[in-house]
Amino acid sequence: MRSFQRRIFLRKSTRLAVAASAIFAARAGHAAWNAEHFAGAPADDILARLFGRQPILETGQISLSVPEIAEDGAVVPITIGSELENIERVYILVEKNPTPLAAEFEISSAAMVFITARIKMAESCNVWVIARQDNQLLMVKKWVNVTHGGCGTG
Amino acid sequence: MSGMKIRSQQTASYTEIRLLITHPMENGRNRDPVTGDLIPAHFIEELTLKLNDVTVIRVNMAGSIAKNPFFTFRLKPVRNGDKISANWIDNRRQTDSVDHIVSETTER
Repeated sequence: MRSFQRRIFLRKSTRLAVAASAIFAARAGHAAWNAEHFAGAPADDILARLFGRQPILETGQISLSVPEIAEDGAVVPITIGSELENIERVYILVEKNPTPLAAEFEISSAAMVFITARIKMAESCNVWVIARQDNQLLMVKKWVNVTHGGCGTG
Repeated sequence: MSGMKIRSQQTASYTEIRLLITHPMENGRNRDPVTGDLIPAHFIEELTLKLNDVTVIRVNMAGSIAKNPFFTFRLKPVRNGDKISANWIDNRRQTDSVDHIVSETTER
């Protein structure tokens, strides 16, 4: 009797595992680009779409390097680094861009948390970097003065 | 029109990958300086970096990434001879990809 129940349990759990891996495969597929995340909306709305009401903690354990003064808002270099383990995703948001989310990075355990990129900034504002580590959200932000932004950027 | 350059550098503690992509990254809000017409949105949506055919980094992006995107990533040290590939797909469903074999002397 016991072994019979165990077999049913095994069969059910195998089915669950298959279903779970199918969900993961779907999430890892091309559907992952989400128009809602990259929509033109105020930064607070985008934050709510990305993270709901989950609290975001400011941290000193993620380094964010951006220029204090960016002469050309069309090309603003950004460098992100961290020694923290288990960071699965990193988001770059530009507070006052018409489309605030610049990029979201999915980082596997084979990669380190070190990213450089070049973003557009429409005007002077904060750049936010938010990282998902296990179940918490960590944030670092820096102000960038943009000399020449506006049309053609953001 | 498009193109992708990939370089790697081996150090003791990581393998650095640098990627330069030729792409206009138009966000749909710019106007043609001559005609004054809006330039349609044309930007990369997804970039995938694979190590020996296994995805190690994925990036979702839109028109707030600068024209001709340049990225640097670091992987935990990989072996010489390992294959790194990158590919992207944009909002017009155009794609491009590049393969790169890591070696001691990949600084070309």
